[in-house]
Amino acid sequence: MAIDLEDDILQDFLVEAGEILESLSEQLVDLEQSPDDSDLLNSIFRGFHTIKGGGSFLSLTNLVDVCHKAEDVFNLLRNNELSLNADMMDAFLRVLDEVNDMFEQIKSGEDPSAAEPGLIAELVAMQDPDAAAASEPAESAQAEPASEAEVAAKASDEAEDAEIEQVVDDAAAAAAAEDFVSGKDEITDEEFESLLDALHGTGGKPQAVTGSSTEDKAPAPADAAGSEEITDDEFEALLDELHGEGAGPTSANDAAAETGASETQQGDGEHISDDEFDALLDQLHGKGKGPTAAAGDKPEQPSSPAASDKAPPAKAKPAAKKAAAKKPTAKTATKPAAAAKKEASVSKGDTTVRVDTSRLDDIMNLVGELVLTRNRLNTLRQSFDDDRVHKAISSLDVVTADLQTAVMKTRMQPVKKVFGRFPRVVRDLARSLQKEVSLELEGEETDLDKNLVEALADPLVHLVRNSVDHGIEMPDQREQAGKPRQGRVLLSAQQEGDHILLSIKDDGAGMDPEVLRQKVVDKGLMDAESASRLDDSGCFALIFMPGLSTKDEISDVSGRGVGMDVVKTKISQLNGTIDINSALGEGTELRIKVPLTLAILPTLMVQLGSRKFALPLSIVNEIFELSSKNFSVVDGKEVVLNRGKAPPVFYLRKWLLNDSDQFKDFAGDPHVIMVQVGNESVGLVVDQVIGQEEVVIKPLDKMLQGLPGMAGSTITGDGNIAIILDVPGLLKSYVQ
Amino acid sequence: MTDIQADSGILQCVTFTLEDETYGINVMQVQEVLREVEVAPVPGAPNYVLGIINLRGNVVSVIDARTRFGLPAKDSDEMTRIIVIEAQQQIIGILVDSVAEVVDVKRDEIDTAPNVGTAETAKYIDGVVSRDDTLLILVDLNKLLSEAEWGEISNL
Repeated sequence: MAIDLEDDILQDFLVEAGEILESLSEQLVDLEQSPDDSDLLNSIFRGFHTIKGGGSFLSLTNLVDVCHKAEDVFNLLRNNELSLNADMMDAFLRVLDEVNDMFEQIKSGEDPSAAEPGLIAELVAMQDPDAAAASEPAESAQAEPASEAEVAAKASDEAEDAEIEQVVDDAAAAAAAEDFVSGKDEITDEEFESLLDALHGTGGKPQAVTGSSTEDKAPAPADAAGSEEITDDEFEALLDELHGEGAGPTSANDAAAETGASETQQGDGEHISDDEFDALLDQLHGKGKGPTAAAGDKPEQPSSPAASDKAPPAKAKPAAKKAAAKKPTAKTATKPAAAAKKEASVSKGDTTVRVDTSRLDDIMNLVGELVLTRNRLNTLRQSFDDDRVHKAISSLDVVTADLQTAVMKTRMQPVKKVFGRFPRVVRDLARSLQKEVSLELEGEETDLDKNLVEALADPLVHLVRNSVDHGIEMPDQREQAGKPRQGRVLLSAQQEGDHILLSIKDDGAGMDPEVLRQKVVDKGLMDAESASRLDDSGCFALIFMPGLSTKDEISDVSGRGVGMDVVKTKISQLNGTIDINSALGEGTELRIKVPLTLAILPTLMVQLGSRKFALPLSIVNEIFELSSKNFSVVDGKEVVLNRGKAPPVFYLRKWLLNDSDQFKDFAGDPHVIMVQVGNESVGLVVDQVIGQEEVVIKPLDKMLQGLPGMAGSTITGDGNIAIILDVPGLLKSYVQ
Repeated sequence: MTDIQADSGILQCVTFTLEDETYGINVMQVQEVLREVEVAPVPGAPNYVLGIINLRGNVVSVIDARTRFGLPAKDSDEMTRIIVIEAQQQIIGILVDSVAEVVDVKRDEIDTAPNVGTAETAKYIDGVVSRDDTLLILVDLNKLLSEAEWGEISNL
């Protein structure tokens, strides 16, 4: 089936299921640590179930298949009918990968390809260690609902054959419809009949119930569903389907099954004993309204296995539970725990709105304009001689600043979004390297600009992999060194003023400055003399040099010596900094500092001739006046003497002004701005330093994009344009 | 310019002058006409890009039509205008000697480009219309900002 990416329902599904997938990855890794955590098992089960539900509605059969199988296994797990082992974990993680792949396919408009058959077989095999289940899912499915039906039957014993017959017919029709719709269920009509015969045979009593329900079966579950946790959208969609196909029972059953399942999730997931079930049915019987809903359930018990192809036991059970769990809801609106929980989730849901990020970006741009206008007013302020104007501008100033913060906050996302993937990364890596590593996360709730969250993901993955690969030693080595076998990697985030500080800390071997010195000389990246002059932190910074790897062997994990260099570049692009602390034998800590947002950039405004330029403030170390005393020429290169060092100095006007302007006099007192580029310090001479200004970056047109050294432009307080310089790019293209 | 083939028989053109020639561009692509404002040069930009301007809070690049058409440079005067146009999903300003008027051109009067003007100009010509003994040259904006030139920029 072709996938219509314009479809709102599909889009909603992708967003929602995408979130579930993210949390699934985290939960699965957690599960490995605590395999008996029933909350966790339930929530994973729910996750797969929800994806499956959405997927089946959108006819994503392959996706449904694999989720369904996984759901089955988790159902057994959470009912303690199976216990988790490492192979299963691997399989689950593969399932997750598979589902993620399918998602990518769906997003690109393709029908997801079928899951690896081996994986499905594995999942099926898991369900029954005795290997019987795979061949006879239908059979076991049959048994379950049958017994369930018996329970129902026993509960009420004034059965009337005619009515029973009606149920049978009705349910058979439902099954037939199901056949038509799904086209692949394995329960034949005969089987189904026999199932119902079993029900009939025990002289059950769903009759009173049934009689009223045959005609209006569809509305009945619909009613029930209305009071359940199904969202309006899902519900509406179901109703649509129901009307459209005229396959009332099928959809209704689906609806009910959904409802039931969600109800099951809400409930504590315990089995409801027969006694309880009896009691419920009795209550139900007494009520006028109850039967309708109940009737919806009854035929659906048999047919819901049909709804899900192959109908393994897992499916039947939720259905059964649902039957029990739903009745109270239908009967009286006052259902204690479940209802309360439901309400809580509803009211919580109402407080959030999903907004397209492009809309947020628009708002951010508008606020940017406002900030610029405010800056302009602030500049004009001096020319007004009226107190009222000053007051008005002051309050505009405050409000704009608040608005800016508020809008910025809407774009914030918890760092958890990035951190969430690390448990999996670390687990997989540790397993493949045969190391023992535990990952701790701190400050996951720290908020960060959305774009930054995305941009940080890759560098962080790299650094965490590095910590596990290079940092943490093999378990035996660790024991010899008197450390616990299990290594520890701590990933933390915290806000520091207008910056976010991310740190990756391991308790591994640490780095040896001597080894690094040796390495850099061996690789011919630096001569021995300059290497020996480096202090320890200078040595650590060497790992950011392109072409340097401390690993002797290249693995698929790391060791090519390109990674850290890329990380460093990436972080600098985000106007961030990265530094390293390491103690031999004790571990290494990498600290990344990035601004809270990318939209507004603190800059240092400088003047060259009549033009204004902005330098990102994050790279500026120091500013001082240029004088003949501190200026000199060494080896034909202009340098400036500063703090006992002689860094090279460059005249920006030579690069940035056209020929006629270049040789005019300085427009002010020339200053040297010391900037940090990579590990080097460089002086830039400007005509005049204007001051610090927060600017909104306006990207240059397509026509001007990619110009070396130009990061963008901005509109200054006086309405003019200033070009924002990309200093590393500038040095790269202009310094010979 | 696909708009020329649009169903209506009349094409409205904004006319501007460069040197002694009159040029026309589809009025639908013109956003506004500005008196010359201060253009901030962008270091390292191709020579025909004059720089960028602040258009009510948006940064817009301005190209010099004279340089683009291979004409000699001329100091700006009070007739100089910047035509802000939209082509290929971007907003671009074009600096011209002067902007004259909006004229109606019958589509069937448009001749395919003869060999007029300099070779440089010919590249960007979509067609010509002869009116009252003068030629109105229709400029293809998409070609004016054409792909070949992107290559030139990226080679810089």
